[in-house]
Amino acid sequence: MVMAVKRPQRNNRATNGRWFDVLAGLSPLVVLLTVWELVGSPDSPFYPAPSAWWPALFTRGQGEDIIPAIIDTSRTFGVGLVLATVVGVAVGVGVGASERTDRALGPMFEFARALPPAAIVPVATLLLGFDETMKVAVVVLAAVWPIMLNTRTGVRSIDPVLLDMARSLKLSRAHTVGKVLLPAVSPAILLGVRVATPVALVITLLVEYLTGVSGVGALVGDAQRTFQPARVYALIVIAGLISLAVNSLVRSLEQRVRRRHAGGGR
Amino acid sequence: MGRDNGTRRWDALNPGGVAVLLAAACLWEVFVRADVANIQFLPAPSEIAVAARQAVMDGELLGRIVHTVGVTLLGWGAASIVGFGLGLVLGLSNTAYRYSMTSFEVTRAIPPITFVPAALLIFGFSLRMELVLVIFGGVWPVLVNTIGGVHSVPSELRDVSTMLRLNRWETVRKIVMPAALPEVVVGLRLALSLCLVLAIVAEIVGNPEGIGNGLIRARQALQPALMFVYVIVAGLLGVVLNALFRRAVRLLLPNGTVHEERSW
Repeated sequence: MVMAVKRPQRNNRATNGRWFDVLAGLSPLVVLLTVWELVGSPDSPFYPAPSAWWPALFTRGQGEDIIPAIIDTSRTFGVGLVLATVVGVAVGVGVGASERTDRALGPMFEFARALPPAAIVPVATLLLGFDETMKVAVVVLAAVWPIMLNTRTGVRSIDPVLLDMARSLKLSRAHTVGKVLLPAVSPAILLGVRVATPVALVITLLVEYLTGVSGVGALVGDAQRTFQPARVYALIVIAGLISLAVNSLVRSLEQRVRRRHAGGGR
Repeated sequence: MGRDNGTRRWDALNPGGVAVLLAAACLWEVFVRADVANIQFLPAPSEIAVAARQAVMDGELLGRIVHTVGVTLLGWGAASIVGFGLGLVLGLSNTAYRYSMTSFEVTRAIPPITFVPAALLIFGFSLRMELVLVIFGGVWPVLVNTIGGVHSVPSELRDVSTMLRLNRWETVRKIVMPAALPEVVVGLRLALSLCLVLAIVAEIVGNPEGIGNGLIRARQALQPALMFVYVIVAGLLGVVLNALFRRAVRLLLPNGTVHEERSW
C-alpha cells in the first residue's frame, strides 16, 4: 500500500482525452458490478447484488450510525497522523542532527519498527483498554516511522553551508531550527507524511475492526458478526471512498506545497 | 551520508546502540518490578523470557511459526505470479492499460483490511480465507511496480529490439523483463511484508492457527507475557523474511540490479 504509482510518461493530451481515459478505465469495474447485479440475488449470504448494498446501510434503524462512525474514524486518523508527524519530525531531527544519538537509538527503533501494528493491537487493548486513546496510540506507533525516517534523511542531506551560514549569523539554536533546518527539511517531511497517510488510515480501520471500539471499521466488524453481507459491502465501499478522498487530498496538498517550493528549484 | 552506505547492518556492530537497548530493557524490568506506573498487565522482560522459553519447549511456538510462514510464502508466491503476469500485460498493452487502470486504482484504494469481514463471510474461519486475503493484498504492490517497471523501460531499448528484429516474445523476455526487474523486485519485497501482516490479521480474526491466533489466545487467557512473545516473534519474522529476500536477490540477480536502501 505504501508505494507511488508511476504513471506512463506520455505526452499530455487534451483534458477531455484524460477524462475519457479515466472513464474508459472504469469499464471493467462497471462490467463486474453489472454482471454481479444480474447474477446475484439481494439475499445471497455471500454475494448480495450491488443494488441491495445502499439500502442495507439503513435497515433496522442502523442509518444513524454511519455519519458518527465516519467522524470517529476521521478523528482517530487525523489526530493520529498529526501526533505521528509531531513526534516523527522531533525525533527525526534529533537523530538526523547527531550521529551519536542516531547510533545509540538505532537498534531500539529498528526493533520497535519491526513490530507489526496488527499484532500490537491486542497488547494495546490489554494495557490501555478499549478507548480512543488506545486507537490513537496504535495509529501513531504505526505512522510515525516513515515521517521519522524521511526527516532523518532530510536533515542529514542538508547542505552544511546552510548551517555554517546560520552559525556565522549567530542565530540562536531555536532560530536555526525554525528558520534554517525545518524549511530545508520540509520536502522530506512532506514525503514522509504522504507515505504515512495511507498507513494511518489503514491502521485506524484495522484497530476499529479488531477492537470494535468505534468508527467505520467497528461497523464493518459488527455487520460481519451479525451476518449482514450487503451492509458489509456497503461499508467497504464507504471505506474505499474515504481512502480515495484522503489520497486525493494529500496529493493536492503536496502539489500546492511543491508549487510554493518550486522557486527553490529542483 | 555516503560513509555508512558501505557498512552492512550487522557488520558494524553497534555497541552503544545495543547497550541502550539493554538499558531500556533493564529500566522496563525495574519499572515493572517497582510497580511505578501501576499498569496492570505489563509483563517484565524477564517474565517474557520465561514465557518464550516455555513456548519454545512445548513446541507450540515452532508449529505456529511454520503455519504463518508457510501461508505467507504460499500466498506471496501466488500473488507474485498473478501480479507480475497481469502487470506485464497492462504494462505492455496501452489498450489494456487504458481500459482498466482506473478500475485497479479504485479497487486498490480500498484498504485490504476492510476485505477481511467479507472474506470471513464468504470463506468462514478457514485456511482458505487466510490464503485469499494474503493473495489479494499481495497482488497490488507487485502489479503496480511491474507496470511501473515496464513503463520505465527506455524507448532506446525498444529501438534496439526493433533493430535486432526480435519478435514480441523475445522483446519481452530479453529487453523488457530485465529492464523492469529492479522495480519488480521492490514490489515483491513490499508484497512479502504485506503478506505476512495480512496472514497475522487473518489469524487474529479468523483462521484459528498460527502466530496471530497464538497472540489472541494468550490475550484471552490473560497471559500478557506470552502475548509479548508472539508480538516479538511476529516482528522478528518480518525482519528475517526481509533479510532472506534481500540475500536471495543478491545471490540470484546480477550485481547492481537493485540498489539497497538502508534504514539503520
